[in-house]
Amino acid sequence: MDTLNLLLDGFASAFTLENLLYAAIGVLLGTFVGVLPGIGPAMALALLLPVTYGLDATQALIMFAGIYYGGMYGGSTTSILLNTPGESASVMTAIEGNKMAKKGRAAQALATAAIGSFIAGTIGTLLVAFFTPSIASWAVEIGAPSYFAIMLLSMVLVSSVLGASKLRGFIALAIGLTIGLVGLDASTAQARLTGGYLELADGIDIVVVAVGVFAIGEALWTAAHLRRRPIDVIPVGRPFMGRDDWRRSWAPWLRGTAFGFPFGALPAGGAETPTFLSYITERKLAARRGSADEFGEGAIEGVAGPEAANNASAAGMFVPLLALGLPVTATASILLAAMQKYGIVPGPTLMTDQPDLIWTLLASLLIGNTLLLVINLPLAPLWARLLRIPRPQLYAGILFFACLGAYSVGQSSFDLLLLLLFGGLGFATRRFGIPVLPLILGVILGPLMEVKMREALDLSNGDVSGLFNEPLAIFVYVLVVLAIVVPLLLARFRPSPLLDQHVQREDQEVS
Amino acid sequence: MAVVIGFIPDEYGEAALTAGLEEARRRQTGVVVVNSTKGDALIDKRYVGAEGMSTLEQRLEESGVEHELRQTMGRDIADEILSVASQVDADAIVIGIRHRTPVGKLIMGSVAQKVIIDATCPVVAVKP
Amino acid sequence: MSEKNVVADQRVDRAQFALAAVLAVVGIYTIIDARGLNVGFGDPIGPRVFPYVIGTAMVVLAVLLAVATARGDVPEAEEGEDVDLTSPPDWLTVAKLVGILVLNILLVNLVGWAITGGLLFAGCAWALGSRTLVRDLLVGFVLSVASWYFFYVGLGVPLSPGILDGIL
Repeated sequence: MDTLNLLLDGFASAFTLENLLYAAIGVLLGTFVGVLPGIGPAMALALLLPVTYGLDATQALIMFAGIYYGGMYGGSTTSILLNTPGESASVMTAIEGNKMAKKGRAAQALATAAIGSFIAGTIGTLLVAFFTPSIASWAVEIGAPSYFAIMLLSMVLVSSVLGASKLRGFIALAIGLTIGLVGLDASTAQARLTGGYLELADGIDIVVVAVGVFAIGEALWTAAHLRRRPIDVIPVGRPFMGRDDWRRSWAPWLRGTAFGFPFGALPAGGAETPTFLSYITERKLAARRGSADEFGEGAIEGVAGPEAANNASAAGMFVPLLALGLPVTATASILLAAMQKYGIVPGPTLMTDQPDLIWTLLASLLIGNTLLLVINLPLAPLWARLLRIPRPQLYAGILFFACLGAYSVGQSSFDLLLLLLFGGLGFATRRFGIPVLPLILGVILGPLMEVKMREALDLSNGDVSGLFNEPLAIFVYVLVVLAIVVPLLLARFRPSPLLDQHVQREDQEVS
Repeated sequence: MAVVIGFIPDEYGEAALTAGLEEARRRQTGVVVVNSTKGDALIDKRYVGAEGMSTLEQRLEESGVEHELRQTMGRDIADEILSVASQVDADAIVIGIRHRTPVGKLIMGSVAQKVIIDATCPVVAVKP
Repeated sequence: MSEKNVVADQRVDRAQFALAAVLAVVGIYTIIDARGLNVGFGDPIGPRVFPYVIGTAMVVLAVLLAVATARGDVPEAEEGEDVDLTSPPDWLTVAKLVGILVLNILLVNLVGWAITGGLLFAGCAWALGSRTLVRDLLVGFVLSVASWYFFYVGLGVPLSPGILDGIL
């Protein structure tokens, strides 16, 4: 019961008035940006990275954790009310949720999503608390070669599994790694890729990259495709559920959590697969009960399950982040960048170096999750009003905060110029369908990977075998090879089933 | 030749609709009901949804006046109304008008004012 | 939607060749830049290897992209709640926004964030089609002055006060 004690200690340090205030701010801010079209949790965190200059590490992380969970919740609200899922993770929620809302059951859909998120988030966070220490204590033993291999694996998985095109995934990764190269080499202090600019000697600040690619890129991309007809919106009252809704929701919540958590913890697992699996499972179970007809017409199970899976996977993401220092989603990358700002070295030693911080973070995740439920259920009608903010002002605001963030890094207009360049890059990634996650991951993990590689090779005096001299490393390399080869083989034997599925989905959207 | 009515689903739009139908009967012509959006927000409560359109259509049917419904999208609502007016060679434009303080007008702008100033035909501005 | 895809399938996306060219140049530059680095004594690896690997990978990916493009591979541009891909892109708005961002870069150290921030907000809103200039300016200046004070008092970061030095 060591873990429990540590977690209670975490609660003790999280439960100050000030910290609760930051948790509440985070949750509100997160929901705010989650509801707003065009801003996801990753962009919100990137825009808020500058607050790390003034707040201490604990408070900043508490707030960020609140923003993260709040953002997920906000996303589900819009997908239910508008049938416009902001992120791929909310697609499944939108299917049944919007049907329910159209039948006048918006209040119940919102309630089952909120309470399901709360339950999944709480169970997920507790699982994180119980798993992370044991993984971390094992991870401390991992040598440089294996750690290098693990980073390589997560990069390859993220680049090749997510997104429609593997080629574009790897292009994104290469761009990110190149950006990560800029600056002075860590051990010889020679300038790389700086083009002679002294401003680049310290490397490119992650705030500038993230804000440029997420915020400026998104704003420019939206500006190019701005005008569209307004959507019919469904009026909402205060979310609530009847006894029957409770009876039908609790099992999907738990099943969704079981699907979501493991996927969230895997690199490239993401939330799409578990939400999809949860939806399919609930539909099958409904068929067995003989009530499959309701699916597609607004079945509450179809909202409860995927929404729980979504949030459980959001919690699962913390396992690799805290135990291995390995971010597996865009949001986790930004959280990691925030930790780096505080001089916290990400990696297997995170848990042993900063135990107080981690336990406080986990405790505040639980607090944030509870606050989310308490604050947001009554506020749902208010959040829905946010959708009326006109796009010019909304995106002007995003650009304003993006410039503010980049400018505050060093009060230099050079950073703003870089910001604009990365905005252009962000625009290009959207135009060419290049995924953003591998890019950000490359920027953050690239330098770390080089350090580990050189550590491993220094030991072997430059011999390549230095990268392979641990059994774990070899095992991971086998996985890397499998990750690249297996999808290629599958594609050869089964002529693009994904494409067919895709076409079908588009047809449905049209009809 | 018709009476163009600027319609939004609230009391000002209602007032314009009632007055516009009356104006059309008086001039013995039809009405063109215009409902426009700037299309710059995800939700625009002044833009009539699918359900609202069918009720509106039904009400116009019952009024017995020859009618047409148009939904348009553009940068400036006033320009949208004016361009429909010039397309149908309007006899008159009927709009609802709200109270605005000078400061309010400075900050929020006024569609009604622009329509009244720029129109090439008579404009009837009604208050609910 | 699907109709548009069919049309796009028959065309080669020329812009992707440009992208491939840019990527190749970046990759080659990375390699050339790495050649200029010194490997220190007693440092078996040195700072060159990693950039070599990345640069080479970039060039290879650029070639693959060019080949894929020639074979008719088209990108799947990102959609979103606020993005309507069925309408043609509006380059004028993008150009206006970039212009305003550049203006902000030129002026920020001269005039100070409290002023350029406000202009930035109002300017971007204007470029994006807002016609309530006075309101946008008000909102913009409230935001920029508030953010200046937030950074100064709350975070201890003095943003450039510019010509308002002494007034703020």
